[in-house]
Amino acid sequence: MAFWNKGESGPSEDQVLGVLKKVLDPDLRKDIVTLGFIRNLKIENGNVKFDLNLTTPACPVKDQMRDQAVALIKGVPGVSSVDVNMTAEVRQSPQSDKTSLKGVRNIIAVGSGKGGVGKSTIAVNIAASLGAAGARVGLLDADIYGPTTPIMLGTDAAPQSNGSRIVPSRAAGLKFMSMGLIAKADQPLIWRGPMATKALQQCLFDVDWGELDYLVIDLPPGTGDVHLTLAQSIPLTGAVIVSTPQDVGWRISMKTLRMFQQTRVPILGIVENMSYYICPHCNEKDYIFGQSGGSRAADQLGIPFLGEVPLDIAIRSQSDAGSPLVLHQPNSPSAKVLREIAEKVAAQVSIRSFEAPVLEVE
Amino acid sequence: MPLDPTASMPVKIKKVSPAELMIVWKDGHESHYPSPVLRRECPCASCRDEMTGARILLPMHVPDNLEMRGVHIVGQYALQFDWADGHHTGIFSFDLLRALCPCSYCRTQ
Ligand SMILES: Nc1ncnc2c1ncn2[C@@H]1O[C@H](COP(=O)(O)OP(=O)(O)OP(=O)(O)O)[C@@H](O)[C@H]1O
Ligand SMILES: [Mg+2]
Ligand SMILES: [Zn+2]
Ligand SMILES: [Zn+2]
Repeated sequence: MAFWNKGESGPSEDQVLGVLKKVLDPDLRKDIVTLGFIRNLKIENGNVKFDLNLTTPACPVKDQMRDQAVALIKGVPGVSSVDVNMTAEVRQSPQSDKTSLKGVRNIIAVGSGKGGVGKSTIAVNIAASLGAAGARVGLLDADIYGPTTPIMLGTDAAPQSNGSRIVPSRAAGLKFMSMGLIAKADQPLIWRGPMATKALQQCLFDVDWGELDYLVIDLPPGTGDVHLTLAQSIPLTGAVIVSTPQDVGWRISMKTLRMFQQTRVPILGIVENMSYYICPHCNEKDYIFGQSGGSRAADQLGIPFLGEVPLDIAIRSQSDAGSPLVLHQPNSPSAKVLREIAEKVAAQVSIRSFEAPVLEVE
Repeated sequence: MPLDPTASMPVKIKKVSPAELMIVWKDGHESHYPSPVLRRECPCASCRDEMTGARILLPMHVPDNLEMRGVHIVGQYALQFDWADGHHTGIFSFDLLRALCPCSYCRTQ
């Protein structure tokens, strides 16, 4: 390439790629050229144009990487302007079973030690944030006994089927399926065998999920049949653990953590929900239950800490109204916190998809 | 318990023949399992007492020529086998498989 540019004043492709090699993806710890993020590079009359193809549209550092790339290219002699087109292609996490869920690239379970800590709230807002960022997202409510997710999404229609496959509902920009709603639909086909196990497997394998970048699974609290079935049935990309500062020293979540570790499900990180209260009058943060317990626990366990979500009436009222806060009030401080958590989850997923070994039986 | 936490991470799993499974581990160790040896160690509730760990299936119940028909990966932590005697309910975690390595080095550890 450089050869053809000899004698011309314009910068060469090698020069441009050379400086772009200085831009590192902080999560994947490699430069964006080596990672194959640079696509469709065109250099014409001093204008440098390319696609920066990231591993997720919800990349937390995409602006930073773009700005750094632009600044570096502008320093190359002969460059007059730079156009970067930001694109994203969520990579497939290694799947040993290529037949089931084959269009689904990453599967993220959201669990907790005890009930009522805000798992469903966090799962719905993570899923909706990833969807709003431009990813194709599905949400599976795997709690048969207390399905709240349909309320949070404002949809409780019984699922339809198209021949042998169940068609997921659509809400909040997501494909959505609830084990509870399948129960309501009361289709005899679905309720054979051990109930929870069978229902979960149907939600995974008999639902026409199509092409998805992320499938988020809202688990029931604690550990049980559903968790084990999930860990045994599919290679999960990873799990997010939701906890609250009141879970004394995180003891309650430890059992859930250990269950995931025993089944080798990578822990994507811990979210601390209802960490602090924002005074509606002065916007002051009040850490009612003490500060930074969650991040300290995550540090000790060597697990990423994904963030602290405030106790905010708007989070709850938006859930009750069937429209996730991140979509309905995207500029509110709590929506921003939830969005950042979703971005960190997406970043952890990208890391896992690059690192995880593909297991196959030869 | 292996000292190295990556020791029980397989990098290669191969059904060499109906009589033998091979696993190469992340630390480089290579394990070769004769089918009947694995079948005798089945950890499922009908082969071993869940509470005491005592054997329900006795080694002599498994013929030395028992064959392995299929091998499946369970999630990302275990293997499941279809045995010629029709049994298939045992889930062999990678930790268990590493501990069961029949090589003379592992047997003397
Ligand atoms: N950060 C928050 N601020 C205010 N209210 C919240 C917050 N997080 C959750 N809630 C509310 O707390 C209640 C419990 O939340 P949620 O249903 O998400 O918990 P869960 O862990 O899924 O519960 P379960 O164990 O029953 O599935 C809901 O009414 C929800 O709106
Ligand atoms: Mg819930
Ligand atoms: Zn058995
Ligand atoms: Zn050995």
